[in-house]
Amino acid sequence: GRMERAEPPAATFERRVLRSAAEHHYLRVRLELPDGGARPSVAQFKQLVVAALRELHGEVGAALPVDVLTYEEKTLSAILRVISSGLVKLWSALTLLGFYQNRRCAFRVLQVKPCGGWTASPSVSSRSKVVW
Amino acid sequence: SRRYVLCEVVSEDPRCRQCIEDRAVGLAVRDAIGRVHGDYGLACCSISFTVKYLNAYTGTVLLRCRKDSYRLLCSALPFVRQLESRNQRYPCFLNTLHVGGTIRTCQKFLIQYNRRQLLMLLQNCTNEEERRCIQKSVLSCFLTEEQSQSGDEEDDDGTE
Repeated sequence: GRMERAEPPAATFERRVLRSAAEHHYLRVRLELPDGGARPSVAQFKQLVVAALRELHGEVGAALPVDVLTYEEKTLSAILRVISSGLVKLWSALTLLGFYQNRRCAFRVLQVKPCGGWTASPSVSSRSKVVW
Repeated sequence: SRRYVLCEVVSEDPRCRQCIEDRAVGLAVRDAIGRVHGDYGLACCSISFTVKYLNAYTGTVLLRCRKDSYRLLCSALPFVRQLESRNQRYPCFLNTLHVGGTIRTCQKFLIQYNRRQLLMLLQNCTNEEERRCIQKSVLSCFLTEEQSQSGDEEDDDGTE
């Protein structure tokens, strides 16, 4: 039936917390740098991620808290963690990044999971030590 | 549908008025959107973006954008720090006065706002000469029957 519009009670306070929504998302990514030149260090890798965000989403994007949880320089693979509300900005920024220090590159986003969604790797958790 | 953002250019340097023209203001605003919201924000806001009206004497500027992207535009306005025109640049900032769904609602607001500003100027006069000038301006602002303006945008629901 049709709901009647009730008068709201005076001066009550209600707080709703959605426990089901994930707070963070993890992204497993790999940077492809086909020219075979010097590989970025973890600091440079993080800088690249921030630069990608800044290009596509400006200062607001660059201010998004992104953590590099793991980084393997040999394979240029990493696991990134971002607050869930920033997932789309981060993912789109990585996808559209084309250059690292004037060298052609591409980010491959291999896997995206909400916080607590990893089943394979027990070493990665929401309280993982941040690498950079 | 669109949103109209009414703002005023505030500057300590009176020469800044020379820069209050569509191209300079449009570029400054788009530059700020690009810095704050990146390529995505700039592209979003560029659809249907234009400087609809300006008044260099009062520093009033009316911007138009899409309804979907007016938040991107408004949040970038505080980041406009200067206006540049003909190789001259002057520091300034933009004060957002009103956001409306049609040009008409912004116009109504602006009329009221300017009236209040004139009265405030009258109160803050420092000498008789100024006082007489302003009193004359205020007295000359009387309502006349105007024909409806052509080029009005569709009467949108201005609430958001």
